[in-house]
Amino acid sequence: MLAAAARRDKAAFAEIAARYYRPVYRLAWRMTGGHADSEDIAQEVFVKLWRNPGQVREAMALKGWLMRVAANGAIDRARRRGAVALDEVPEPADAEPRADRGLERQEAQRHIDRAIAALPERQRLALSLVHFEGLSNIAAAAAMQASVEAVESLLARARRGLKEKLSGHWRELLDGLGTGSG
Amino acid sequence: MDETIRKQIDDVLAGASNPELPAGAMERLLARLDDEDRVVAMPSPRPSPRPMLPWSAALPLAASLALGVYLGAMGSLDDFLPDSVTGEVAVSDDENADLSGVTDAEAYAEEDVT
Repeated sequence: MLAAAARRDKAAFAEIAARYYRPVYRLAWRMTGGHADSEDIAQEVFVKLWRNPGQVREAMALKGWLMRVAANGAIDRARRRGAVALDEVPEPADAEPRADRGLERQEAQRHIDRAIAALPERQRLALSLVHFEGLSNIAAAAAMQASVEAVESLLARARRGLKEKLSGHWRELLDGLGTGSG
Repeated sequence: MDETIRKQIDDVLAGASNPELPAGAMERLLARLDDEDRVVAMPSPRPSPRPMLPWSAALPLAASLALGVYLGAMGSLDDFLPDSVTGEVAVSDDENADLSGVTDAEAYAEEDVT
C-alpha cells in the first residue's frame, strides 16, 4: 500500500488516510487541547507524506512517522501561539456533543481533558501515544525519538501529574465513571 | 507507582474525550491532495548576488592593506616607490637648529622670554 502510494496512487493513499487519519487527528486534538487547528495539523501530516512518500521506507514505521510529524506540528503551532500558563489552559472543545450524555459524565470528561491538556507537552505526548493510541513503549519511543526508559519515565510522571491535578475530584471521578475500586 | 493507583488512573483516563473526526474531514483531505497535484512547479528564484562591499568600507580597508604591506616590507619596497613617498620630508642644514622647539620651552620655563 505504501509502495503504491509512493507511485502516487490516489486510491492506495486514500486507504492509508482512512486507516490513520483518525489517530493522527486524535493526537493533534490532544496535543493542542482540542484546538480548532487539529484538522489542519492532521492534514499537513498527510500532505507531507503525499509530497514525499520516500520519507517512510518501511510500512511498519508508517504509524510512528505519522504520529511524530503530527506531534511536531502540534508543538510547533503551540509554540508559535505562545506558552500557555497552567491555569489558562483552554477547556478542550467538546469532542462528542451528545444530548443523551449525562451531565456528570460530561463534567468528569471536561475535568480529565483539562488535566491532560495541562500536562507538560512531552508527558502529554507519551500518554497520548501509549494510552490513547495504543503504541507500545518501544514504538512510542521511536516516534518521540527518545529512549524507552525516557518514555516510561514520562508516562509515570504524567500519571502522577494527572492524579495530582485531579485529586480534588478523584473520588467523584472514580464513582462517576463506575470504577469505585480502591 | 502502586498498581491499584495506576489502574485507577487508567480507569479515569478512559473517561477522557474520544474526539471524532469533524464531518467531511476525509473529503477535505483528499481535495487538498488534488490541489497539491495541480500546483505548478515554479522555478525557485535565483539567489540575488551578494552586494558588493560599499566604497565607504572598501577604501579604508584597501588603504589599511597597502599600509600593512608597505610597513611589512621594512623598506625593501622603497626602490619601487616614488621619492614623494619614500624621500626625506624635511632636512635641516643647521645641525644645531632645534626644530622641535624644546630649547625655547626651557627658556620660557626660566622666564627668559627676551
